[in-house]
Amino acid sequence: MIEDDLRAAFARHETLTPSTGPVRAAIERTVVRRRRHRFRLRLRLGGTALALVVAALVGVPAFTPDRTVTVPLLTGSAPPTPTGALNVLLVGADGPADRPYRFADSVLLVHVPADRSRLYLVSLPRDLEVSIPGHGRDKLNAALSFGAGQPRPDLARGYALTRRVVSDTIGVRIDAGAVLTYPVVRKLADAVGGVPVCLPAEIRSAHTRRVFPAGCQQLDGAASVDLLRQRQGMPDGSLDRDRNAQRYAAGLLRRVDERGVLTDPVLLSKLLTQVGTGLVTETGETSLPALLSVATKGTGAAPVAMVLPVEYVEKPNYRFRLDPALGPGFLTALREDRLGEWTAAHPDRVTGLG
Amino acid sequence: MTYEEFADSRLGALLRYAVMLTGDPHQAQDLVQDTMVRVQLNWRRVARTDSPERYVRRMLTNQYVDWRRGSWARRVLLRGEPDVGVPAPTDHAQSAVDRDQLWSWLSRLPRRQRATLVLRYYEDLPDAEIAEILGCAVGTVRSSISRALATLRAEYVEAC
Repeated sequence: MIEDDLRAAFARHETLTPSTGPVRAAIERTVVRRRRHRFRLRLRLGGTALALVVAALVGVPAFTPDRTVTVPLLTGSAPPTPTGALNVLLVGADGPADRPYRFADSVLLVHVPADRSRLYLVSLPRDLEVSIPGHGRDKLNAALSFGAGQPRPDLARGYALTRRVVSDTIGVRIDAGAVLTYPVVRKLADAVGGVPVCLPAEIRSAHTRRVFPAGCQQLDGAASVDLLRQRQGMPDGSLDRDRNAQRYAAGLLRRVDERGVLTDPVLLSKLLTQVGTGLVTETGETSLPALLSVATKGTGAAPVAMVLPVEYVEKPNYRFRLDPALGPGFLTALREDRLGEWTAAHPDRVTGLG
Repeated sequence: MTYEEFADSRLGALLRYAVMLTGDPHQAQDLVQDTMVRVQLNWRRVARTDSPERYVRRMLTNQYVDWRRGSWARRVLLRGEPDVGVPAPTDHAQSAVDRDQLWSWLSRLPRRQRATLVLRYYEDLPDAEIAEILGCAVGTVRSSISRALATLRAEYVEAC
């Protein structure tokens, strides 16, 4: 009986239901506002993620301690050192490992030429439009999220899809790579005792009271993260942030080289303990010790850094696409291991690392 | 299904459901609005579920049950003036009072209990589906319903 009364009461009050039109419009307005906010947030986080990518320059050869240390000692023979050019893909994921949505906001290709003269750091803008298998055209940073899946993201699979997309887009083989998550960079910077960075102009943090003066300075872990988050107020926005990350990478490599971290097993294992786990790495057919020796040789000369030549598409979706004038030539140079020539011919495209 | 298709076909039903939960058109609108904003922002994830409709209903119900934590509740409280736009029932005075009494008793129930009643007697869902939406055991659904009905019956007795 009371059940019937309830049914009747509910049915009678259906007339209270607001009409859908205004609700729909209000939802749209809020979504637009929220998206704009989220976009800005993601841009800020991206900087930090790129810092992690940069950290992987050291991390790729280093983050499987048992093999790194024991293989050369136990076998007693030198591992086969890879010859020819190598490409290492470093993917920075925003946020901690268990976050449901992961975007690769920082994608850095480290090119090691066959002559091992130096490292080339090539930033791939996260807003680059690419074809993602099974998902059509989208931004590069979405590949990690699509690959990692839901509801428990698997970063190894996210990496695999990102790797495929990058490899298809720029047409080079990827020999090794890593995905880095948010907290690692702070620990890494502290573990190596701070990172020297030289900035072309003063940067005021939008998040803390820090002011990074123009010129060279030493950054601890917290300051590293802060600097690499900064994007606002810079003339070239996210691309300038990419360049700061390249400067940071150069400083980190120099620091690691100075301290002999990569060649000293004790220092290396100490570093590994301090940084901890949470990294997804892939070294393919190349052994870790072999990569280690390559990385060590590569740090001899200062690295050369650049952003993939892109142009901005000034209409909805607002993505980057390959610069039709410079892009093809750059990619050919990358494939044919002639980046030295290319950067000599296009000095304005090289990031000043201070 | 795209978000637009989903909103076209389901928004009305969700609003009605929210009215039954909150008992108030403005609160219902805020509740639906807040939920649907999240639905649209995360549409890829929602669309991947077996039944987006059930998933969204679950989001909305959770939002309602977690009243104090939800931002929509704060907005409602800030609004101040109680709504006066409720259309007056056209029935005889006494029966209208009786009916409104049942409606106001509903608002005194704990939210989870009210949600089970709405799902059971308005949406006509089986216990298992109610349990899924509320994220609890079937037995809990049954005990919620019987407890809520007992409360309402007690009110009836007092009123008579």
